[in-house]
Amino acid sequence: MATEKKEAPVLNATVEEPLDLLRLSLEERVYVKMRSDRELRGRLHAFDQHLNMVLSNVEEVVTTREVDEESYEEVYRQTKRTVPMLFVRGDAVILVSPPIRAS
Amino acid sequence: MLFFSFFKSLVGKDVVVELKNDLSICGTLHSVDQYLNMKLSDITVSDPDRFPHMLSVKNCFIRGSVVRYVQLPSDQVDTQLLSDSCRRELTEAKTKQ
Amino acid sequence: MLKYRMTSSLDGYMNRVTTVITGDGRTIVGLLKGFDQLINIILEDAHERVYSETAGVETVPLGLYIIRGDNVAIVGEVDEEIDKRIDLDNVKASPLAPIWIPG
Repeated sequence: MATEKKEAPVLNATVEEPLDLLRLSLEERVYVKMRSDRELRGRLHAFDQHLNMVLSNVEEVVTTREVDEESYEEVYRQTKRTVPMLFVRGDAVILVSPPIRAS
Repeated sequence: MLFFSFFKSLVGKDVVVELKNDLSICGTLHSVDQYLNMKLSDITVSDPDRFPHMLSVKNCFIRGSVVRYVQLPSDQVDTQLLSDSCRRELTEAKTKQ
Repeated sequence: MLKYRMTSSLDGYMNRVTTVITGDGRTIVGLLKGFDQLINIILEDAHERVYSETAGVETVPLGLYIIRGDNVAIVGEVDEEIDKRIDLDNVKASPLAPIWIPG
């Protein structure tokens, strides 16, 4: 127990490396930007050093670019869907943002 | 090992594997390995009109690196247990440093 | 090797007609004659099925093929009864997109 107590502050509170920040976001809603213009918002339940993750109550937004055939204007279209429980493979993750606290 | 163990606990359950080429395959998780390669049985492709390439395939092996997402049966996932295992692995990794 | 490796379960596909989807989105069908732990694959009497939106599926004979594991995305066990019933001349679809995520 004694050793555990000594280690506890280091293991649970401090942020020494990037993934520590993610540990503090466990069980919180996070924002994930993915490759191929995908964004996720969901509750983070687990992650590893590859940024593989499991999220619940996920909202995914996919942004697609279309060029209007007549005006040649670029139109961005967003498609939303929700997934109750999702494993996300880390190699497609660009960034993870901790929950935005209500100001 | 966290997600390897996690997926092993989901063997026999129905999942939807979404690949990086937008192909979605639903099926029963048959097995998984340390690279998160997966074998699915009794598969169907979510959009067979767009993806008729696998119509005659009922069982398949998917390389872990081509996976984007796996949709999981939420009633089969104990999120408390999962986040506890995650914290435990992080602590173990720190202590080893 | 004592350690359990899942690729040994491709054993069940040995000498069966299999569909291999490659990383660049090609579909190759042939008799699975061998594989290893890197998922290098040997297909006998391999054919590529070339999908097109404007014409039926074109079947290109390739012969004996070794596919490097890195380029293997999916290995599927073909149900030959179902496969025989598919009229490939009337199947029209876009070719599969490459798996590799654009930069």
